Amino acid sequence: MIFDSSIVTSVFGQFAPIAPMIVLIIGALVMPAVFFATKRRGAVTGVAMAVILISILFNVLMLADGYQGEYAGLFAYDAFSGVMILLFQAVIFLTALVSVSSSETTRMHYGAYNSLLLAAAVGMMFVATASDLITIFLGIELASITSYVLVAMKRSDPRAAEAAVKYVIIGGLSTALTLYGLSMLYGVAGTTNIADIAAALSTQGFSWAFGIAMITMIAGFGFKIAAVPFHAWAPDVYEGAATPVSMFLGTGSKKVGFVALFKIFLVIFVAANATASFATEEMQYIFAIIAAITMTVGNVVAISQTNIKRMLAYSSIAQAGYILIVMAVMTEYALASGMFHMFTHVFMKGGAFLVVGALITVGIGEKISDYRGLAKRAPFIAFAMTVFLFALAGIPPLAGFTSKLFLFSSAIYDNGVMTQWIWLAFIAILNSAISLYYYTRVVKAMYIEKGDTAERIRIPKTFAAAIAISFVFVIVLGVFPQLIMDFCADAASALFG
Amino acid sequence: MIPIEVYLVFAAILFAIGAYGVVVKNNTIVVLMCIELMLNAANINFIVFSAFTTDVLGQVFVIMSISVAAAEVAVGIAILLNAYKVKNTIEADSLASMRW
Repeated sequence: MIFDSSIVTSVFGQFAPIAPMIVLIIGALVMPAVFFATKRRGAVTGVAMAVILISILFNVLMLADGYQGEYAGLFAYDAFSGVMILLFQAVIFLTALVSVSSSETTRMHYGAYNSLLLAAAVGMMFVATASDLITIFLGIELASITSYVLVAMKRSDPRAAEAAVKYVIIGGLSTALTLYGLSMLYGVAGTTNIADIAAALSTQGFSWAFGIAMITMIAGFGFKIAAVPFHAWAPDVYEGAATPVSMFLGTGSKKVGFVALFKIFLVIFVAANATASFATEEMQYIFAIIAAITMTVGNVVAISQTNIKRMLAYSSIAQAGYILIVMAVMTEYALASGMFHMFTHVFMKGGAFLVVGALITVGIGEKISDYRGLAKRAPFIAFAMTVFLFALAGIPPLAGFTSKLFLFSSAIYDNGVMTQWIWLAFIAILNSAISLYYYTRVVKAMYIEKGDTAERIRIPKTFAAAIAISFVFVIVLGVFPQLIMDFCADAASALFG
Repeated sequence: MIPIEVYLVFAAILFAIGAYGVVVKNNTIVVLMCIELMLNAANINFIVFSAFTTDVLGQVFVIMSISVAAAEVAVGIAILLNAYKVKNTIEADSLASMRW
């Protein structure tokens, strides 16, 4: 067998389920030392890339070998955690790669910056492997608190300072709401293990305390995933932060909330549905309404944006609405396609943010009007941006089309029977059409409108590499979705048990 | 013995006061204090449930969440300090240069 996880288990022993995180934690600890010893940003990024690649290697070995294990009743590695860890590793890989040549990232504290980046990724991966409320909470907080600092690290920029204040206050509010919900859940079930909570709830049925837990947790996680009406912070923070950090927040940080939602709500609801102890249909409708409002508001408000980072922020709010369809439909196929959409979203939205970051580094502004005539000045960049934006809108044969097709079809048919969520799929498809309008505006500026100069642009090499990686994945995942979709299907059946 | 509802209502009132403060207060430091109130309401919930079910994990959770809250306030105050240096104000109303 090519993929053999025994290497990982023999090195890490009982810690094998959290091996990918251990590697990154070591990396996070040595990062400032590397910077102070060498004083070179390239050296720090080199070490960070090495650490991330080792972590990816371990995770791929474990995932492809079908490794399953648990540590201390707090962490459990299965197919679901493996796929989600892979997603967060892809995000951190792209972010760490471009941070070195971005003009927006810190120069004085580059070691600390990388350290925080890796620590945030560790927090996200902890959420993905968590099997206990305590580890979910700690993972979310590790990811959030480091993100606040990352946003604030663009220190002299007044917009970044303002965005960081908003982020820390909204994040704190979201933490408080989530913690209150978790405390209620603990009180109802008498345990913090998620599987035990599901078992306890499926025997005792619905109670008012469980209702309060649901409401406060939906609000708390809603802030994290920027679902309407909890979305107001997202555009400000994405605009204010350095573009690599915006990309990290938009593609990684948002998914943490989804993983936590899947881990807590889906597990409880599936157990409750199996024993028919309480009806989950009202909850499904709440999620369906939130999903419909989120995608509509995100897309409609994005139309009037002139700043491209804000436009991408609103578009990622809309994408969060699409992914929320999973929580409404709540079937195994919906979860698999939702996870696949999260994967393609990393490369589509991540790629678009990478292009924006590369252009800011070479001195082109953030306004859509600054992109006039870009096709002449940088043909590859303009073409890559076009591909990413069309993928986000869902044009075949790009990745966004395939993942949206899976996701929306899961809302229409379930095992050959038409579901009640067909109206949700209808709204989602209508929204995709709206989104094409504002994505095309950028393409029009790049290709049709004339710019002030025709001077060629040379973007930094790491940006070009990261954009090329995202570009390849957007095309390949669109044509061969089964590369990732097979893993997602395994992952979904692992979570549904 | 005091029934469990008394504690829970106390925690809920504390949570509501905190949430009210977050919404209406203009000074961001006071807003951070109100968030602390909300977190402590959740902590009281955990301890009460833990004491009434004699399950020790709730108290473990509280120790974790207190340390997380401390880290969050430390980061929050540092960010407010930076905002004050850059913009000379930390009033929520004047931190609104980005809209829509």
